[in-house]
Amino acid sequence: MSHFSVSGRCVAAPPPADWREHLAQMLGARPRRVDAWAELGLYGALRCMADSGEKVLPPDAILLLSSRRGTYAATEAALEQMQDDLLMPLTFLQTQPSQLLALLAAQMDWLGHACFFAATQPDDLLRLAAVQAGAGGVLLGCVDEIDGGFTNWLRLRRDTVEKYDFKAAFSDWMPSPDGYRLRVLEARENP
Amino acid sequence: MTPVYLAGSGLACALGLNTQASAVALSSDTHAVSFNSAPSDIGAPFPFRAIADVHGNWNERARALIGQVALEAGAYHARAGALFIATSSFDIGAVEQGAERMDYTSFADKVAAWLEWMGPVFVISTACTSSLTALLAAHALLRSGEEQEALVLGLEIKNQLSLDGFAALQLLSPSHSQPFGVDRDGLVLGEAVAALRLSTREPSLWKMLGGANVVDGRVPTSASVAAVVRMYQIALNQCGLAAQDIDLIKVQAAGSPVNDAVEAQGLREMFPVQPPLVSLKPSLGHTMGASGAAEIALLMACLAQNQWPPCSHAADEALGVRCTARPPDTVRRILASILGFGGGHATVVLERT
Repeated sequence: MSHFSVSGRCVAAPPPADWREHLAQMLGARPRRVDAWAELGLYGALRCMADSGEKVLPPDAILLLSSRRGTYAATEAALEQMQDDLLMPLTFLQTQPSQLLALLAAQMDWLGHACFFAATQPDDLLRLAAVQAGAGGVLLGCVDEIDGGFTNWLRLRRDTVEKYDFKAAFSDWMPSPDGYRLRVLEARENP
Repeated sequence: MTPVYLAGSGLACALGLNTQASAVALSSDTHAVSFNSAPSDIGAPFPFRAIADVHGNWNERARALIGQVALEAGAYHARAGALFIATSSFDIGAVEQGAERMDYTSFADKVAAWLEWMGPVFVISTACTSSLTALLAAHALLRSGEEQEALVLGLEIKNQLSLDGFAALQLLSPSHSQPFGVDRDGLVLGEAVAALRLSTREPSLWKMLGGANVVDGRVPTSASVAAVVRMYQIALNQCGLAAQDIDLIKVQAAGSPVNDAVEAQGLREMFPVQPPLVSLKPSLGHTMGASGAAEIALLMACLAQNQWPPCSHAADEALGVRCTARPPDTVRRILASILGFGGGHATVVLERT
């Protein structure tokens, strides 16, 4: 990952109380037919892109999203609806983490490689991002509704001067209740 | 560039509990496969391609099937490498039966423990394209030299949420799947567990050259022509190939009225001279997140055994494409594609060594 520069970031863990108002301002309207997890993701991604001074991702950039429990709230809602024999199509779609990828792609009017992924070790996420990213870099997100919610994003590029300290940015990227430190960073400190 | 070989495959599906049996059953006229009705209060029951003869609760079935396909794929050789679990439904079937609520890391830990996996473990979920997206990730990891072995595990085992969800979206056929058919009226779901083992140290008959995954969010419930064309362009460019270098395309073609038409238009625009097309979904069912891996495993077995899926339904002439009823004489390069909701369009390029 060392060949990337952090050109933009959003660390909202938890997000500010008025994050939905900020999101509506960025979109020009309140999002419709979107659940809270996807709203959180949109908010963080758009703030990160704005911080990077970009409105859209380059065509050769990739969009990677992770989470610990992702769409669990929508899944709970879908299971409850199913028990009542009233599963709604939209609720079912919201159980799919990939719906946030589609939402972000649509919002940025972008077509490209996007993927939801999770790993047992957070640094493996970074490793996979590094081998898959092309010249356009990565928009890397981690979004959860649990523990008050968080939406943390990094815009990683190969073609720009570093705006944030690489190590600090990654340390903040994935909140960890047990103080887990990314092994990749420790390896950088003690090669 | 380090070659990435498709070193092993395993498959458990409605057709059989291994790749060889599944390929033989696929070409049989009798289609000795299991049908279960998908319980739904939305109209009549829907057919479902279920895996027969493996019983127990969700976790018990998953563990047995995963162990079986991993063994067939030679996963023992890869356990220090990377494991990619590709699914759209995770272990929601276990949650429906009272297990702990969904947690991706716990799910990954559970599957890794069943396989006694020692290397890094990833969960990939991009709806129906999950397995192909996982293959692309595994390919990138191996090609970079970060790993020498990877196992892509496509996992889609029967659960009520997926069945009811697709029914609620009105995507299911009440009878059968007719890819590019004039009377196509929806898709038929199925369950499958498939394993594809990639290796840079074990040469084999097929290698994976690369591929592409293009998400187009403008129409999140169906495919788009622009994304289909873009997907093929990126994949061919990345592999240094032209459209005429492709000998066979394994298409999505699930029998959906809209998506089949979109895919057909994308194929016409991208391939002025149409290579032979094959769809495996009428017999296998659409196995959602597992479909990419399951259909590649089945196709490899078909080519090895000279088996081919029957294609007896009437084609929709207006689409300008149709599936081939016989295996091509020679197949050196294959595109294997899956289109899914969530705007996902993915393809991988395979080449005979």
